[in-house]
Amino acid sequence: MSINPGRSEDQFRSLVESLIDDPNQHAELIKLLGEDHAIYDQRGTATVNRMRGWLLLAFARKQLPQAALPFVLEELDTGVDAYLVAAAAAALRTYPERNQAFAPFVVRAISNIRYRDENVSLQVYGGFAIGVAGTSPVRELLETLVWLGPSALAVVPDLTTLRDGPPALSKKYQPHVAQALEAIGVVASVEDDCCQLPESVRGFFSSLRENRTSTKQLDSTVFEDQDGTSLTFGEFFQGRPSIVAFFYTRCDNPLKCSLTITKLARIQELLRTEGIADQINTAGITYDPGFDLPERIKNYGRHRGVKFAPQHRLLRAPEGVDSLRKHFKLGVNFIESLVNRHRIEVYLLDREGQVAASFERIQWNESDVVGRARELLMEYENRNASGVTRSSITSPVLGSTVALALALFPKCPLCWAAYMSFFGIAGLGSIPYSPWLQPILAILLLVNLASIWFRARSTGRMTPFYLASVGAVALIASKVFAGLDPLGTAGVICTLAGSIWSAIAATNRRQLARQ
Amino acid sequence: MTTRRKTAKKTKAAKKTTKKTTKKSTKKTTKSTKKAAKSRPSARRSPRAALAVATSSKESSPRRVAALQEVPLAVCENDENLNSLLNILRDRNEPIKVRLAALQSIQAASFSVIAFESCRPDYLAALREIVDDPDPELRQRVLGILARENDSYVQQRLLDGLQNPAKALVPPEKALQLLSYDVHAESYSVARDIVDNPPNPDAKREALRILAADPNSAPVFEKLLTDKDENREVRQISAAALQSMKPRRFQERARQMLLDKDEYDDIQATALTALTQFGDQKEVGQDQELMKQVDKLGKGKSAKVKKTARRFLMRYKA
Repeated sequence: MSINPGRSEDQFRSLVESLIDDPNQHAELIKLLGEDHAIYDQRGTATVNRMRGWLLLAFARKQLPQAALPFVLEELDTGVDAYLVAAAAAALRTYPERNQAFAPFVVRAISNIRYRDENVSLQVYGGFAIGVAGTSPVRELLETLVWLGPSALAVVPDLTTLRDGPPALSKKYQPHVAQALEAIGVVASVEDDCCQLPESVRGFFSSLRENRTSTKQLDSTVFEDQDGTSLTFGEFFQGRPSIVAFFYTRCDNPLKCSLTITKLARIQELLRTEGIADQINTAGITYDPGFDLPERIKNYGRHRGVKFAPQHRLLRAPEGVDSLRKHFKLGVNFIESLVNRHRIEVYLLDREGQVAASFERIQWNESDVVGRARELLMEYENRNASGVTRSSITSPVLGSTVALALALFPKCPLCWAAYMSFFGIAGLGSIPYSPWLQPILAILLLVNLASIWFRARSTGRMTPFYLASVGAVALIASKVFAGLDPLGTAGVICTLAGSIWSAIAATNRRQLARQ
Repeated sequence: MTTRRKTAKKTKAAKKTTKKTTKKSTKKTTKSTKKAAKSRPSARRSPRAALAVATSSKESSPRRVAALQEVPLAVCENDENLNSLLNILRDRNEPIKVRLAALQSIQAASFSVIAFESCRPDYLAALREIVDDPDPELRQRVLGILARENDSYVQQRLLDGLQNPAKALVPPEKALQLLSYDVHAESYSVARDIVDNPPNPDAKREALRILAADPNSAPVFEKLLTDKDENREVRQISAAALQSMKPRRFQERARQMLLDKDEYDDIQATALTALTQFGDQKEVGQDQELMKQVDKLGKGKSAKVKKTARRFLMRYKA
């Protein structure tokens, strides 16, 4: 079913009411929660809030499906609109499971909204309370804590602060706080997996991209940084992994863009502390390049602690917002050039500029992002190392082949004849006797020995080197002194064993380092 | 001992004198307080007593207004206090001066964000109830408070009024000014319509101030800036808007205006000031034609242009 984006608000309200009554259409309703849905294009922020609030309330009247849960938690985490937060709190109470991880979201929402509290009506589209009727987001959130009951045990200290202060909630909410504390009751112990969201839900907030999409559509995108310097996507994002956050300076939600850029500055600090600031790029890209001119983003970043450097910039794409939206699948929509709603989004790009991981919707932890970036860096080191692994596998093969060739190398034309006859080939005159081949094989044997020595030094295991050395000495001796052919065979075996042992030791060490 | 006795006598005498003086001054103060109490608030009255006076319809309006000035700290002490003030505010039969004083009192209480936390929801809901009040002053003040809260109900009512003057709560210029508090107030398209077809010059100016944050409106500002027949204040607003959105384009236009011998003095002064503050040091400094022209302007008749030209030359010739 395709939804006409040009619907009026009245039509939208009717549409939601009809879809919610048909469980087969709930997937359509969940699609409507995406910020980038065409239905929000060219609508103002207040209109978008009314529409999204009505969607959440529709779920609140039935049952909140798991696919809509991330949107509800996002609203609790960073929402500052009273109607939306109240609707999210009401919707959460219809989720089939009381999960312990929900309680911190609810308490955080109380902190975010308590000084913006106002009366709202959840029965009405848009929800403005006129007069003194209606509920309020704080009341709805406290009711949600009552619903969570013992599952909200982890937030008892926060609730106690809300009861006793400072800063305590106002007197009129105290009965609700008491009710929540009573509903939680006294539970003997908190389970170990206390505040973990279900795995399926966690995946919505932070994910690894298995299939990385090509950056072809961004190749022509020209960025301008905070100093007005122009550069292409490839020039900045290719060659090193990058951490990219999206923002715009006119964002009026202090829990979104302003906090995101402050956290980006903190990420830079962590990268510097770990000594990898020159190996990983950081960038903040504005959604609003028409307004966010270089000087504006420079001041915005500077006031939030961003330290600018060639690898660390704030960027605007004056002509490329659409291609950025497509490539990153950005959760944003606009009214004219102004953002009307966006989600929090931070991406990790690999060395080719492809999206390798993302952190979306709820505020992310700086250390987690740096940890993922470090993994991405290691991915390349490992890839390079896997080249070494191949050579380390081929090395014993090469070493052993060289050893075998040296052992079996014919000493004179007669020996060649013997070999040839052994393989049933006739024609002595055409036998190519190459006495120069023997010293070459000897040199190759020494090269193999040297590589084993280097590997032995890095792994700290010298036995493979000693074994291969004994093998080499035995082989050379078997060639120099007549009648020591069995020693040659022993030399081949020792060289082969030393080479293989050395390769295995090096592989094990790399795996340990990766862990 | 003798010294001690003398000191004690002196102290007693001093105390007597103080008592007499205090009695006299108290008598005087009581008389003057009684007189003043009729017109100004009493410092000794408890908030409860002040509220009793403020909410009593038997009291005169000046006494109620004076009492209301005393109560802000008590507004959020309990629901009863708040409701009594909100009732005055909502009641169209109350004298307007009393209602305005009630609004002022609650507004003063709202500055203490933490203490006001419990009052805020009912206060905002009550304000929404009176946005249609027949008294224009009260209505405008209420709209102002809600607009500063980025209240989307009020924004919608103001937009409706701009699109349909029959529904207007305030004059269009005031509505635009109130909408300009929130960049996300969906007002760009309405503002553009008003610029094209302004109900009055003030409304046009306010609409332009809103559009000054809309990058899509840069061509409109460029056109207004270069139109010599346009109102000078409008051209100055356009200069500021274009400089903020398209600084390079503005620099080009400012150069043209400075080289134009027929351009108005105040517009040239604006262009000079903007280039002095925000111009590209290298590009402007190396523009010999422009420097010569500014030299000439510095020796011209207009004092304002001379002053700004001097500042310009100080920056670019240094």
